[in-house]
Amino acid sequence: MITERTLPYWLLAPSLVFLIALFAYPFADAFFIAFRADGQWTFDNFRTMVDDINFGLSLWNTMLLVLIVVPLQIAIALTMAMMLTKIRAGRDLVLYVWTIPLGISDLAAGVVWLALLSERGYINTVLSALGIVDGPALWLSYETPVALFIAVILAEVWRATAIVMVILVAGVQLIPKEYNEAAEIFGASAWQRFVKITLPLLKPSLQTALILRTLLAFEVFAVVVALGGRDLPVLMGEAFLWQFDYRDSGVASAYAVLILLISIAFTLVYLRVLRVKEEAE
Amino acid sequence: MAAGIYVDKVRKVFGTFEALKSVSLDVQPEEFTVLLGPSGCGKTTLLRIIAGLETETSGELRIGDKRVNGLPPRNRNIAMVFQNYAVFPHLTIFENIAFGLRMKKLLNSEIEPRVKKAAGMMHIEHLLDRYSAQLSGGQRQRVAVARALAMEPEVLLMDEPLSNLDALLRLEMRAELKGLLAESRTTTIYVTHDQVEAMSLADRIAVMHGGHIIQYDRPIEVYQNPANAFCGGFIGNPPMNFLQAERENGHCRIAGAALPGPSASQGNGRVTLGIRPEDVLVAETAASEHLTGRVTVVEPLGPHNLLTLAVDQQLFRVTTAADSPIKSGQEVYLALAPERRRWFDTESGKALH
Repeated sequence: MITERTLPYWLLAPSLVFLIALFAYPFADAFFIAFRADGQWTFDNFRTMVDDINFGLSLWNTMLLVLIVVPLQIAIALTMAMMLTKIRAGRDLVLYVWTIPLGISDLAAGVVWLALLSERGYINTVLSALGIVDGPALWLSYETPVALFIAVILAEVWRATAIVMVILVAGVQLIPKEYNEAAEIFGASAWQRFVKITLPLLKPSLQTALILRTLLAFEVFAVVVALGGRDLPVLMGEAFLWQFDYRDSGVASAYAVLILLISIAFTLVYLRVLRVKEEAE
Repeated sequence: MAAGIYVDKVRKVFGTFEALKSVSLDVQPEEFTVLLGPSGCGKTTLLRIIAGLETETSGELRIGDKRVNGLPPRNRNIAMVFQNYAVFPHLTIFENIAFGLRMKKLLNSEIEPRVKKAAGMMHIEHLLDRYSAQLSGGQRQRVAVARALAMEPEVLLMDEPLSNLDALLRLEMRAELKGLLAESRTTTIYVTHDQVEAMSLADRIAVMHGGHIIQYDRPIEVYQNPANAFCGGFIGNPPMNFLQAERENGHCRIAGAALPGPSASQGNGRVTLGIRPEDVLVAETAASEHLTGRVTVVEPLGPHNLLTLAVDQQLFRVTTAADSPIKSGQEVYLALAPERRRWFDTESGKALH
């Protein structure tokens, strides 16, 4: 029955049921499907996945995207967070404007950038009006993979840097300003204060932001599809293709398991590298 | 090398609030100056301006021979102890103390002996490998002071360094700091709102109130000859007594007695008499120049008794011997030591001589 002792569990129960039913169970199911074919335990699905012509390319593209986008986002978000600490008047306004992309779904973000970058998009219009290009240039075609890749990076950075910034801004606010003042008194330049005081004290927030962003970056999908269709294969896109176009849940699940394993590996690395020594908390 | 500090007509305005109203202060090399005042008086603002953490609105600042207006803190050859210690949590105590030396790009072989020496002075050699979170408040305070001493600065600035310690520890650290800083002969500016701390540590006290320095003098002078009624009331525990008096032909009438008034500025009108509780003798018989008062409260404090009286319906405090037989409700007569009477202009509060 509901007593003071059991009440917390009752209050937790709905979310727990929700998570188990809609997250843990489907997940276990996907795992199960990935290792089953023809009623037997097997690695066949993984073999099919690896042998597929797009597998190597999609793995490479995804990795490269993550390795470029995430550090870029961290750097930009750190810069934004540090700039915010210097603003007094209008700080909230700037913060709100910077967080607008947070409210936009990734597919919508892809479409926005499509409108900018397509053959008849804004950017081509401006460039040809200025006489920089003769007629519309192709940015998003399979013939211009580098331009397409850069476009995806741009859209991803635009779309998802704000969440990193919000985490870092919250973290920066938690650092008492006396640490910075003490460092200043004891001879540290602005850059030294950033490297020796702010960054180390920001470690817990950096860790959170990195884990969150990296996991989401491995699931990059909608922006890529909106901008490049199938011209830029990524892991999540392949999973989608196998599930809905090739109607092969086994291979789709194998992709999902692969993404999960990579995500876990990266998370463990972050937890290890950015750990805060217990005594230094 | 200790350097003097010269503050000339420094003003500081925050928005519409004038925190410092043309403050001037000179601190001699090796001198220990305490900025004393209630919160909001501008003492911390003045210290932060000297440190370079805050920019003055106008006025001039010199440390030694160098004009430091506009110089960043790191070019002022100062060290500072913060109220909340500001011991970096992610560095060991050794690295905390070494921080300023590392910023100066000293060699490890120079840093280590200086860190050890500073740690030795503060008796924290055994804590060098630990982190701030593993230390008590008092130990962190020691680290903050050691970090400042290791710099061997020309000027040491301390912002209420003892205010976060408990009373007993504060007493202990106060005496220790005094010995240590006298030995190191560093020019020091020390901010506090604790008048006992100021009295005990300072070569000179600058009493601040409302963005002004009201008096800048040796502690005993500030105590005995306050420049105005505020100084008299702020310093001393219990504070100076004030009684309103009516001036008549060079004499002042208070509570039925006629006392010789201040020699300067003859005339009529109201003046205020100030006298410290320990400069009053309680008698049970009347005499000329004795004030009459009724005891309302007797507080035995151990070494002495604190009497609260109503004199002419004004609050008055006196200390008496612990074995004094005087009881609450009793009518007594108060003999004010003639050489300790101080007179103030009732309107402006300024001392009259």
